[in-house]
Amino acid sequence: MPEIEIGRLLRSNTSACVVGCRVAQAGLPAFGSLVRIPLGNNYQIFGLIYDIHIEDDGLVRQLVTSERVDEEVLADNRMNRNVPVEFSVLHAGYEQDGRIWHLLPPRPPLSLDAIYACEPGEVARFTGEGRFGYFRHVLRAADVPVGELLAAHIRQTQAAQATHGREDWGQAAVQELITLLRDDYPQLMSVLGALADIV
Amino acid sequence: MEPEQIGYIVGGSLKENLRVRLTVPANSVQEGAFVVVESGDWLFYGLVTDLQLGATDPRFADEQSEQRLPAGLAALLHGQTLFTNLEVMPALMAERPPDPGDPRYETYWAAHKDEKPHPLPVKTIPAHHAPVRMASKGDIAEIFGDPAEKGRFIIGYTREQGHPVCLDLEKLVQRSSGVFGATGTGKSFLTRLLLAGLIQSNVAGALIFDMHNEYGPDDTSSDTNQRVPGLKGKFPGKVRLVGLGRGATVRNTPCDFQLEIAQKDIEPADIEMLTRELNLKETTPTTLAALDREFGVNWFHHFKEMKYGAKVENDEGKQVDAPDSVAFWAGGAGVNVAAAEGLHSKLGRVFNKPYIVEHPAADTIGEIVKALEAGQHVVLSFGDFETDLDYLLVANILTRRIRAAWEKKTNDFRSGKASEPKKLVIVVEEAHKLLNREMAAQTAFSTIAREMRKYYVTLLIIDQRPSQIYDEVLSQLGTRICGWLGDDLDIQAVLSGLASKDSLRGMLARLQPKEEVLLLGWGVPMPLPVRSRRYDDKFWEELLGKKLGKQDESTLLKELGF
Ligand SMILES: Nc1ncnc2c1ncn2[C@@H]1O[C@H](COP(=O)(O)OP(=O)(O)OP(=O)(O)O)[C@@H](O)[C@H]1O
Ligand SMILES: [Mg+2]
Repeated sequence: MPEIEIGRLLRSNTSACVVGCRVAQAGLPAFGSLVRIPLGNNYQIFGLIYDIHIEDDGLVRQLVTSERVDEEVLADNRMNRNVPVEFSVLHAGYEQDGRIWHLLPPRPPLSLDAIYACEPGEVARFTGEGRFGYFRHVLRAADVPVGELLAAHIRQTQAAQATHGREDWGQAAVQELITLLRDDYPQLMSVLGALADIV
Repeated sequence: MEPEQIGYIVGGSLKENLRVRLTVPANSVQEGAFVVVESGDWLFYGLVTDLQLGATDPRFADEQSEQRLPAGLAALLHGQTLFTNLEVMPALMAERPPDPGDPRYETYWAAHKDEKPHPLPVKTIPAHHAPVRMASKGDIAEIFGDPAEKGRFIIGYTREQGHPVCLDLEKLVQRSSGVFGATGTGKSFLTRLLLAGLIQSNVAGALIFDMHNEYGPDDTSSDTNQRVPGLKGKFPGKVRLVGLGRGATVRNTPCDFQLEIAQKDIEPADIEMLTRELNLKETTPTTLAALDREFGVNWFHHFKEMKYGAKVENDEGKQVDAPDSVAFWAGGAGVNVAAAEGLHSKLGRVFNKPYIVEHPAADTIGEIVKALEAGQHVVLSFGDFETDLDYLLVANILTRRIRAAWEKKTNDFRSGKASEPKKLVIVVEEAHKLLNREMAAQTAFSTIAREMRKYYVTLLIIDQRPSQIYDEVLSQLGTRICGWLGDDLDIQAVLSGLASKDSLRGMLARLQPKEEVLLLGWGVPMPLPVRSRRYDDKFWEELLGKKLGKQDESTLLKELGF
């Protein structure tokens, strides 16, 4: 199975990192999907894409004001950007020597480390481990649209889990979220509002 | 098989009951349910006294989220944030012996010598999260006794699962007891059951004052028009039916004896007891004392023979009181004439009672005592004499005589002159008429209720208005069996002298209006509401059918003269 490289690391800290890539990189992952950053020595970090950011540059500003943009120019601008598309990734856990942890990675990835989208099998394996420990990181994150992120993540993951024999994963995930958020009424209702669209 | 878990302990205290988070639908548990908590080496037995809806945050309860969220999601949310708590009043606790697989099994039974652990009053509470389940048939037998044991009588069934609940008849007759409930709640039917059990098990003799002719002869149910068998028909050899007055029959059943009361048996106190009934004046005791002084035991006879307002002409041609007039006697005895004449006219109702005679044809009271001593049971049917006056007068006189007889027997027994007297239960319907505050000091009944346990006589009182019964008598009642009561004062009266009144009060008020009773008091291990056993053909089959064991064969042969 071909590994889909999304891009390479721009910056990181313990709990999150930002990845840059060219638009052309095929099959760009979506908001809420799971990615992995292999770091060698049987160690890789998993994360959730929680923000996709497209920065402008001088040329784009120019083109935006011009009357008509040529198809060719448009394509060229997208393919050969000066500024990369940025993906913000929330660290969700890591794998060390074949074992998955839903804890923050002990060492963040370094600049230019390559980032890959996860295959359904990898998604099922990471999200099926333990009891949804990585939800903690999502719920704690500041400036993240928690409800939307979870809804998107659960919808995508449910499909991956279903093909791997866990039809009830989505329900268990929602149940766990309710347990975690029972004491935070506004947050829970906002998450449930988002989830209402996917069940 | 153990019944499934219904919840787990989430809090509570000894004083304020336990709180249990329910894990099954709320409608599968009712107030009054008998539950068992398993906590480590102990089992706690308790009663559900309340069910409460709760939410982890009140907003989850306030918001009708099922309208905003898809059904599946709403169900998940409610499952986690909305819940029902039970309030459980712990009543008893018992050590839980280790299971046969347990390494402590051998040592435990070696130390306890096959003795089953006894339930104790609760002195501690179960741990957090201890599982709670409905009581099984075995749990109920553990606490209330096994129906197969001797002296255990099934009085009803638990309301949810219908497990049989027993009364210990020995304990029932050890102290006075009461059957209460508003009219139509099934007191008379329940008393029939109890009496049948007592007679069958032979733990005590019974003297029944059958004011409404319900217990002795067969009867017809007032609301179903079905035939209700009486005790006489079912126990022809053991029950004596006594009618009041010469020639008495009760509902066309001939009586075994007819009770006549000798005038000599009426004491001034018997009349004083009727103060309210006859509307007597305060001067009555003085007049009665004078009569007693002058005529002794024959006072009633002499007073009755006196003529009210009789006059004769004296030598001077003047109208004066005749020598056989009330006024003449009063003048001579130094008693106020108006008071004496007033009393005489008011006693007219008593003088006219045909069952009060100068010379009874037989010593029926003596025969009743003898029958009771011989292990028989006596139903005194009032027949057509259904007024309160008849009931008060006859019940009191008879009870006084019986009490005296049993007191003597007990004293003889204590001094080694006689064998132990047989236990006797005196059954009184409409007990408040005899045991109200005003009469309490004057009737033999209150003496029995308060102290006669030591003379082997106790009462079984049946009443719809327990609040009218003297508190001192009420608080002495051992076993109380109580049907639905609407009146707060009545409820309070039934619970007098018992702990955890608050929890029980609501339970009493919410019993079914018919055929449900709360068992209470010293005579039962813990309070429990039950569905009353039905008094029907099946009951008689169970009671009498079971009976034909060896022992009964021999008594049967004996009765036949072998
Ligand atoms: N254990 C029972 N078995 C069968 N029927 C019962 C039982 N308990 C009550 N009933 C029914 O309820 C009716 C009323 O019962 P019962 O006559 O015993 O009431 P009560 O409490 O004695 O009323 P009151 O105070 O007016 O004498 C009966 O006629 C009978 O049909
Ligand atoms: Mg009745």
